[in-house]
Amino acid sequence: MNARIIFSVWLVGLGIIVAFLPINGAESFRLESKELLAKSLDEVHYISVDQAARYLNNEDSTVQFIDLRSPEEFRECNIPGSVNIPFPTLLDPAWEATIRQKSTRTIFYGNGDQTAAYAWTIATGKGYKNCFILKGGLNEWFRTVMNSNFSGDKITPAENARFEARVNARKAFTQINSLPDSLKSRFFSTKRLKQSKLDGGCE
Amino acid sequence: MNQLKKFKTAALVLLPILILVIIRMNNPDVFKESVSKAMEETKDHGNLITPDHLKKLAASSLVIDLSNKDHHDSLQFHPTIYISPERLLDPENREILDRTKGTVVLYADDVAISSKAWIILNQLGYSNLYILTLEEDPEVLKYKFQPDTSARLEEELN
Repeated sequence: MNARIIFSVWLVGLGIIVAFLPINGAESFRLESKELLAKSLDEVHYISVDQAARYLNNEDSTVQFIDLRSPEEFRECNIPGSVNIPFPTLLDPAWEATIRQKSTRTIFYGNGDQTAAYAWTIATGKGYKNCFILKGGLNEWFRTVMNSNFSGDKITPAENARFEARVNARKAFTQINSLPDSLKSRFFSTKRLKQSKLDGGCE
Repeated sequence: MNQLKKFKTAALVLLPILILVIIRMNNPDVFKESVSKAMEETKDHGNLITPDHLKKLAASSLVIDLSNKDHHDSLQFHPTIYISPERLLDPENREILDRTKGTVVLYADDVAISSKAWIILNQLGYSNLYILTLEEDPEVLKYKFQPDTSARLEEELN
């Protein structure tokens, strides 16, 4: 009898606590608002298109690009190696493992800055680390990388390196996006296979 | 008597937890909304407003300009208040947001700033909140990708 009463008291007590908790507590942001606001105003979470071009050229495996546009827009063109997570599906549990990364940097991009800013705030608010925004999105990518042109007489070594990186990234972007979808996936699986052979891993 | 002691023990354990939960619930800096609410409201740019729409809004609406100081003079929306983005959540600015009965419109020269602020305020429970955009759709690709029909990657594929 005593045990039953004690158990009931515990249950009632826990019930009161649960009643005070926000119903959707698990779906709410983990960070406090002021902390999230401060992080959102810090420029360190922006990646320039020139940095993105270098990551693409170096096939940097510590970076993953997340394309937040629709599958139709993604099929038309995307930064090679990107994962397409259309923004309305961002909270789909299937994507959690992709976005929640400890060491890989996740770079969100859309056509402009808005969708990536939404996605970054949501992911960071939920406590995901290593999230970044491609500054200016694909519009900036086209303006700076795809349409880059040097018309001066002299070029500094730094400018030359930047220009060369843009040209190489443009070439990779154009070549891969010009392939039919079936060949694109084959291209990446062949690349992964080559990389695993170079690393001495199994096929 | 023995039973009363056990009740007291249970109450002593539960009471501090309950107090902590109540304190946390009343903390204005804690997010209480579900993230899916923000996702729902951004669907089809339902949270965006154009200058034309803004003109039609009631006088009780308020525009909050989060732009860089240098850009303030270029906008003539009324009634507008200028808040530095870092100070958006300061108590006096939260009070302004709480007091506003009509629509609150966020504007910044950098759309990423107003978009991030919109998500934060939405998740803090503010409703009737919009982002002023000078473009009809800021997420349109302004360039057309030109495929290279001569692209050959056979050597990579073999």
